[in-house]
Amino acid sequence: MSEAWTWVAIGGVTLTTFITRAGLLLLGERLRLPVLVDQALAYAPACALAAIIVPDLVLADGAVSLDPSNFRLLAALVAAGVFVATRSFVATIAAGMAVFTALRLLA
Amino acid sequence: MSVTELPGAAAPPPLDPERAAAFRAGLRDMAPAVPGVAAWGLVTGVAMVQSGLTLWQALGLSAFAYAGSAQLAALPLLAGGSPVWVIFLTALMVNLRFVIYAAALRKPFGHLPWPRRLWLGYFTGDITFVIFMRRQQQAPAWPQRDSYFLGLAIANWAAWHVASFAGILLAARIPAEWGLGLAGTLALVALLIPFCMRRAAAVGVLVASVVAVAAHGWPLRTGLLAAIACGVTAALVAERWQGRRGGAGAA
Repeated sequence: MSEAWTWVAIGGVTLTTFITRAGLLLLGERLRLPVLVDQALAYAPACALAAIIVPDLVLADGAVSLDPSNFRLLAALVAAGVFVATRSFVATIAAGMAVFTALRLLA
Repeated sequence: MSVTELPGAAAPPPLDPERAAAFRAGLRDMAPAVPGVAAWGLVTGVAMVQSGLTLWQALGLSAFAYAGSAQLAALPLLAGGSPVWVIFLTALMVNLRFVIYAAALRKPFGHLPWPRRLWLGYFTGDITFVIFMRRQQQAPAWPQRDSYFLGLAIANWAAWHVASFAGILLAARIPAEWGLGLAGTLALVALLIPFCMRRAAAVGVLVASVVAVAAHGWPLRTGLLAAIACGVTAALVAERWQGRRGGAGAA
C-alpha cells in the first residue's frame, strides 16, 4: 500500500472512532430507543468485555487451549482471584504478570 | 520574560469550584486503572511499529484514531495492503461496542451543546465508560457529571498516549516474549468481574464468551458482534426467567 493510501486508511479508522462514539450522542434523545434496547444496554458492556477477553486468553494460535501450558489463561485466573480478594487494579495486573513471567522463565 | 502557558491541557470549564472538584474526582477515580491502560498503550505502540508502519504513521494512527482494539485489528490489514474500505469496515465493527456506550451516555449528556457532546463522545474509553456509569447509577442527577467524565477521560487519554508513544519509540527494544499485551487483558478482567455479581449478567457473560471463542474465525471480526448479541439476549432471558420465578416465590 502506498504511503498516501496508508494515510487515507488512518483517516478512515479515525472516522470510525467519531461515528461510533459520538454519533448517537449527537443525535441526542430525539431518536427514541425501544424499551427492550434500553434494557439490553445494561448488559452490553459486560458481554462486550467478555467477548474481547475470553478468546484472547483461551485461544493459542487459533485453537482452544485449556491445559496448563496456556500460561496466559493461568495468569488471568490467578489475577481474577486476586481482584476478587483485593479489588485492586494494580495488584491484579501485577499478580497476573508475575505469574505469567515466572511460568515463562521456568518452562 | 513571561512563562508561556502550556497549550492543550484540556481543562474543564474554568472558574467553577464544583466543576473543578468533579474533574479532580474523575482523575482520582481513574488512577487505579492507569497502569493497565498504560501497559495496553505500550503494547499497541510496539505492535504498530513492529507491523511495519513508519514512525509518523504509527504516531498518527495512535493520536487520531485513539482506539486500541480497532488499531490492533487494522494493523495486519494495513501491513497486508488490504483495500481501504475493508480496513474501514473492520475498524467500524470492532468499534461498534462504543455505539452501545454512546446510547447509554445520551441520558446524562443529551442536553449539552453539540461540540461538547462530540468531544465527550470522542474521549469515551471502555474503562472510562464503566467507571462513569457506576457513579452515574449512584448519583443520576449530579450536575457536574460531564466534568467528572472529562476527568476520567483525560486521565485515560494521557496515560494511553504517553505509553503508546513510548511503545512506538521503544518498539525495537521490547521483546515480544515479555507478553506485555496480557497486562491490557488483565485490566479488562478486573473491569469485567464486578458485572458478573448479578446472575443475569453472569449468564450473558458466559454465553458471550462461548460464542466469541466459537465464532473467532469469522471475517471482519463479526464474531465479536455475534457474541455480544447472543450474550445480551441470554442475559435478558435470564432476567425475565428469574423475575418470574422470584414473583412466584413471593406470592
